[in-house]
Amino acid sequence: MSESKEKSCGCGGCGCGSAPAAASKSEQRRGFMFKVGAGLLGVGGLLTALPIVSYLIGPATKRFSNIWVNLGATSSFPAGQTRFATFLNPIRQPTDGDSAKTACWVRCIEAGQFQVFAINCAHLGCPVRWFEQSKLFMCPCHGGVYYQDGSRAAGPPPRGLFEYAWKVEGDALLIDAGRLPGLEESV
Amino acid sequence: MNSRLLLASLITWLSGCERPGGPHAVQPVAHDSLAWTQSAFNTNCRGCHSQGAEGAALPLMNANYWAVATDAVVIEAIAHGQGRSMPAYLADEGGPFTSAQIVSLVQGMRSLWGAKDGATGGESVAISPRVIAGDAGAGAAVFSQACAGCHGPQGSAGSVIDPLYLRLISNQGLWSATVYGRSELGMPAWNQAMPNRPTGLTAQEVADVVGWISAQRPKQQRVSDAP
Amino acid sequence: MNFLKGSLAWIEERTGAMAFVAPLMFHHVPRNAKWWYVFGSATLMFFTIQIVTGVCLATVYAPSAAQAWQSLNYIDTEVPMGWMLRALHGWSSNAMVVMMAIHMLQVFLHASYKYPRELNWITGVFLLLTTLALAFTGQVMRWDQDAYWGLGIGAAIADRIPVFGDQARALLLGGPIIGGETLNRFFALHVFVLPGAAIALVGLHMVLIIKNGISEMPKPGAVVVPSTYRKEFEERMHKDGVPFVPDAAQRDMVFCGVCLIGLVALAAFYGPFGPGGIPDPTLINTNPRPDYPFMWLFGAVSLLPPASETAIMLIAPAIVVLVLVAVPFLSNSGERAPSKRPAMVLLALVTVTAIAALTWEGTTSPWSPVMDGWSSLPTPSEFTKGRTPLEMQGAVVFQFAQCRNCHSLDGRGGKRGPALDDIATRLSYDQLVRQVQQGGGNMPAYGKNLDSAQTAAVVGFLSTLHPFNEPDAMTPGAQLPLPSGAATIR
Repeated sequence: MSESKEKSCGCGGCGCGSAPAAASKSEQRRGFMFKVGAGLLGVGGLLTALPIVSYLIGPATKRFSNIWVNLGATSSFPAGQTRFATFLNPIRQPTDGDSAKTACWVRCIEAGQFQVFAINCAHLGCPVRWFEQSKLFMCPCHGGVYYQDGSRAAGPPPRGLFEYAWKVEGDALLIDAGRLPGLEESV
Repeated sequence: MNSRLLLASLITWLSGCERPGGPHAVQPVAHDSLAWTQSAFNTNCRGCHSQGAEGAALPLMNANYWAVATDAVVIEAIAHGQGRSMPAYLADEGGPFTSAQIVSLVQGMRSLWGAKDGATGGESVAISPRVIAGDAGAGAAVFSQACAGCHGPQGSAGSVIDPLYLRLISNQGLWSATVYGRSELGMPAWNQAMPNRPTGLTAQEVADVVGWISAQRPKQQRVSDAP
Repeated sequence: MNFLKGSLAWIEERTGAMAFVAPLMFHHVPRNAKWWYVFGSATLMFFTIQIVTGVCLATVYAPSAAQAWQSLNYIDTEVPMGWMLRALHGWSSNAMVVMMAIHMLQVFLHASYKYPRELNWITGVFLLLTTLALAFTGQVMRWDQDAYWGLGIGAAIADRIPVFGDQARALLLGGPIIGGETLNRFFALHVFVLPGAAIALVGLHMVLIIKNGISEMPKPGAVVVPSTYRKEFEERMHKDGVPFVPDAAQRDMVFCGVCLIGLVALAAFYGPFGPGGIPDPTLINTNPRPDYPFMWLFGAVSLLPPASETAIMLIAPAIVVLVLVAVPFLSNSGERAPSKRPAMVLLALVTVTAIAALTWEGTTSPWSPVMDGWSSLPTPSEFTKGRTPLEMQGAVVFQFAQCRNCHSLDGRGGKRGPALDDIATRLSYDQLVRQVQQGGGNMPAYGKNLDSAQTAAVVGFLSTLHPFNEPDAMTPGAQLPLPSGAATIR
């Protein structure tokens, strides 16, 4: 843009009589070229941007479904008690390292009846700890407290602990796990 | 010369040790070291079992305790819990320790606080009342003679036959309280002087008196004894 | 000598480097611009240290969730001076945040953001945001337990965004869990995107400083009038100003030198930050804490009323940024002297005090239970003496039921609930029973978890907690305090 201005300025200064007509013709051509150039760059840019943007927002658009994970024999969860259990996250990739390990609290209400709680406090996700003596879960971050059935007892959590769906197959306790528990999928 | 020395010391200081910062490898503390015992005890036990008048339950940082208690008794109490207020610490029962760690812990505590001559406990009185059968009838006499002055219904130190108290304490707990006492709080150990008993009690008398106190539990509880 | 001159001229002829740099070096700055003006330079110096040490660390650090923690330990223990590089990077990061905060405070107090320096201020605000983002992503690079659970907190906040919460969280974490992609995502931000943005913003900030000049020390009565300011300022600089080099630069050099030596001393003495425990989320005996620049946020989040928490967490940051950006537009002319702007000085004071107080709260975090308080803090001996067997059992129950995690005795224990050293002077036996059984006031109800004997014992113990000569609290309507083990429970 500025280039063409300079040029026309220069021509005006030189004062040649026949020049303006020729200049306007080449200017027209140049204007057309500029538009074509802008258009081609725009299309090319869009075509390049499409995969880049899709790549970047991929984590938000890709759907991950939970998978049933075996937590071990039901006999390792005695009735009336709440026990710590760990599993390897079924949604994991080779570079996850230790962070693919996941923990949960398994409460066996009575034989065959379970509640499986996510380790993450419903307030801001810190790992809650079970205290068998007072039958409470406590969070070390902001002091969220939950009763043994996972319901909120005190502190800032807006709701009870997140729960995994569970089922018993044969002798094994399975939970539906994978995604970091969050507000979307739980009641 | 001086500046070279200064530089040398600066370099040593920068590259080396003796500072809060600096390079140090992360080394896990082996669970059979006394440092591990001390820290495991401080984190998991000291809240109730301390020393002197501190702590509400039996002081374990105390040579008298280790002179009487055998390793087997302590290991069992730690692993599976005791009475209603001592939780099980074995991992299989929801606690933090493996059985090997519990054994190291007990051995470590004995070398930290036990008699330096290496006595391993096990005087006859250490055998729990589950082994020496107590005679409640004989115990009644011992109680009224040696204990009731402080611990009877009108006693100054508070009744030990308060039904609420008896609901909370196991026979083992009663036995431990009788044997070890809390001398800093005015309660003599079994072999120390008591009212009317300048030489304390015999092992059998301990069992008898525990048997009698246990017999004072409200009827509906006796079946389950101490849960 | 001639040869040197000749080569310099040769280079100058081809690059114009001196012609470009000379005006930058010798531009006139106000004569009275003294020690107040050194903090921006110190911030820039620390940023330079960050770039140099950061590039060095990137030559060894393994940006992979499976290996990052191990590679940090390798840098600390095996790489020559590796620990020192990490220490410099960590301490310089904190120093940069501190210097930037002081710089910003000075600019605010002196109202240097007024015409024509509005954009200096706004680029500064974005530099602040970029720096804080660098600090947060840097904490993630440490890939220890604090980093892992810090990301968990970030994820939980993102999850609360209405409608798009799940997507926002996935974008933040790079997937459905905190894992390999999360670290790499933050690595890309920390070493490419954010430093690039910071360098661009620093450049812009510099260009604006050259274009608009450094503001003078504020004088009461010397008001900024946009229509005449620039002309008058340039005249004053021309007449009364001093060249940046050496008159102002020498002070910058002295201050930066002192800062640099201080930085090396801190780094050498205190060493690097972390890494803390291995980032294994199944190791839950952890007490996650953010780094210092975010401690005040951690404190603020803890003190928010739960009902409005989500709204505040999501909206407040946007409002703060908006207000900061709006500052030069809300008042871009008039008085600059702090003495003529008492409301602004008060605002700055309140903000600084609030951040300091929240940082203190965050550091002590009285709202956090002491997770091993029950099993590690013994009943002090003044509370065991002269107690009945039942009361002693109550003291055991007090420990056993984790009361100590939230309540202190003799100053030791949780601070979440009130200290109980003299609770018996405040609550009667019956009130204590009710409080233990039904909870309330942010205490869980223990009614289902303690049986009547345990409740009687613990309340019996609590009823003994009062100074020697102070009486128990009386049950309203009752003539005398009830004896311990009273009939109410049986």
